[in-house]
Amino acid sequence: MSLDEKKGLSKENMDKEIDAAVSAETGGLDPARAEEIREKIRQRVRAEMEREERIRTAAERRAEERRLREERRKEKHHEEGETFERFNRNFRFQHMVMFSSVIILVITGMPIKFPDFILSRFFINLWGGINNSTLVHRIGALMLVYFMVHHLVYSIFSRDGRRDFVLLIPMPKDLRDAVQNIRYFLGKAKEKPKFGRFSYIEKFDYWAVYWGCIIMIGSGAFLWGESIVLKYLPKFALDIAHEMHSDEALLATLAIVVWHFYNVHFNPDRFPGTLMWWHGRISEHEIKEEHPLEYEELMARRAKQAAEVTQK
Amino acid sequence: MKGKALYAVIVAAILGAWGAVPPGPAEARISLEKCTLCHGKPEFRKILVDGKIQELFVTADSLKGSVHEKKTCVDCHFDISEIPHRERPRRVNCTHCHYKGNAEGAPQSDGYLAYFDSVHGKAIARGNAKAPLCQDCHGSHSILKAKNEGALVSQANVAETCGHCHIQIYAQYKTSIHGVAVAKGIKEAPSCTGCHGEHKIYGHTDPKSTVYATHVAEQCSKCHGSVSIMSKFGIETEQVETYKESFHGVASQFGSRTVANCASCHGTHDIRPAADPLSSVNARNVPQTCGKCHPGANPNFAVGKMHIDAKKKDAGIVYYVASFFKYLTIGTMLALIFHIALDMYGRTKRLRGEK
Repeated sequence: MSLDEKKGLSKENMDKEIDAAVSAETGGLDPARAEEIREKIRQRVRAEMEREERIRTAAERRAEERRLREERRKEKHHEEGETFERFNRNFRFQHMVMFSSVIILVITGMPIKFPDFILSRFFINLWGGINNSTLVHRIGALMLVYFMVHHLVYSIFSRDGRRDFVLLIPMPKDLRDAVQNIRYFLGKAKEKPKFGRFSYIEKFDYWAVYWGCIIMIGSGAFLWGESIVLKYLPKFALDIAHEMHSDEALLATLAIVVWHFYNVHFNPDRFPGTLMWWHGRISEHEIKEEHPLEYEELMARRAKQAAEVTQK
Repeated sequence: MKGKALYAVIVAAILGAWGAVPPGPAEARISLEKCTLCHGKPEFRKILVDGKIQELFVTADSLKGSVHEKKTCVDCHFDISEIPHRERPRRVNCTHCHYKGNAEGAPQSDGYLAYFDSVHGKAIARGNAKAPLCQDCHGSHSILKAKNEGALVSQANVAETCGHCHIQIYAQYKTSIHGVAVAKGIKEAPSCTGCHGEHKIYGHTDPKSTVYATHVAEQCSKCHGSVSIMSKFGIETEQVETYKESFHGVASQFGSRTVANCASCHGTHDIRPAADPLSSVNARNVPQTCGKCHPGANPNFAVGKMHIDAKKKDAGIVYYVASFFKYLTIGTMLALIFHIALDMYGRTKRLRGEK
């Protein structure tokens, strides 16, 4: 019996009871007067019941909304279905070290490139003046150097690291993917290109960091050990290092703020960002959408393993 | 009758009063004559305790031509109430007349307030008898306006005046490029006051000073950053800009006192052109100059242009590095922004259901 039917029945019963009670009360009165009183009572009861009804439907509506919201949230975060580990703990740690160091380096370095910018003085004074901020910059630099060394060791000695490094090497397919992706944006191609573990977008991000780290750490080391450098090299070598450090800093910062932030934060699929950098997991929905070739490979490997198990 | 007598008395009183008020020149001369009875003798001098001889010879002509031409001795030496005076008169206090709102008609200035705050005024307040009072710089009897070339504080003479006490600095300054220029009569060249200020002279470790570590660049750039001044002498003004953009300049701007400012390398009172072998920025002396902060500095420090502007071709290889990064940045960013814009365009189209 549905809720509405139940409600209808109870309403009928109630009406009858009310009528009976009212008739008993109004039995001795003249019919016109009795009818008047009955009508009044009926109206009052109806109003009461309608109010209850409104409250009930509102509660139902809220519950329904909550359920939908939850569903949307789940859909957005792709919590339904299986999840796969995209970035292992080691890789996540590297990323955290890198972004902390880059944030430190940018907020202590950019004010030196743009001293007249309105926030520059704030970011220098945040550390208690230029002498401290240059010290903090060097701490950031050491973190970045650590990250670079860690990543190189990881890329050589870890199985996951070796696999990822190989998969990150630019391939002719990336160029084809880029062309198809642009055609897809323009509506010329029906389908998005099928990406493997790393799309050309991610590969660009990765190699930009590589290039940036080499230039920044190299020129930064020159600037840090200026006395030693000048023992062996003329002053213009230091000037070149200074120019490179300053220019590449701007390029790297812009690339992060524009490209990386768009792809992982401001892009409507991701806004305001995912927690993948924290838990490293990707949902089935997302991996099918973003990295279909990797998903196919994963499934093929799983099928093969299952077949091996059953053969035994 | 009674009325007429009263009228006569009143007129006489007014006339008398009128005649008495302005001190007649005759009276001033009397005062002067009294003083010159003794001070007018050329051999009138006194041997001080430390063996120095103080000339006390003053004549009626001593004030002639000075700004105080019309004053008499006791106008300034007002503590002398009897002649001959028994006590040694106190040092003249110029603020007796020179304060804002004075009735004497003396030039009205609050310059003396700045003086009391200055390094000299504070030394006086601490009881340093050698610290200068007004008259030590401006002169005592022969005071002239600063714009008058003969004045002790004129642009041409002020260095010598300061040199009375700051003798070593004066010797350095005299042979520096600024000292030589002033001696040649170049009006734009700075003497002491050009950099240190006039009444508001502070020690170089005082943050209020115009030559405080973080203020030096600004003080030098007042002239060296001005094309209209520097073009007269064929000196470039880009040094100011390139310094500001260098790490030294930026750190100084953010308040670092240890980082190099103009004076750290070019010197202070002994600034000389780079071609001069005695100059601290002469290629041969650069290692020593840089070595003050960068231990172990060697001739490599002098290889290449010092004030470098990466935007100009004469910066050499640095210019090409800067250009490479400029076009790399512009190219990369255009490509990335183009890609993002296309992505957004595609998303919008798909959202609207257009295929």
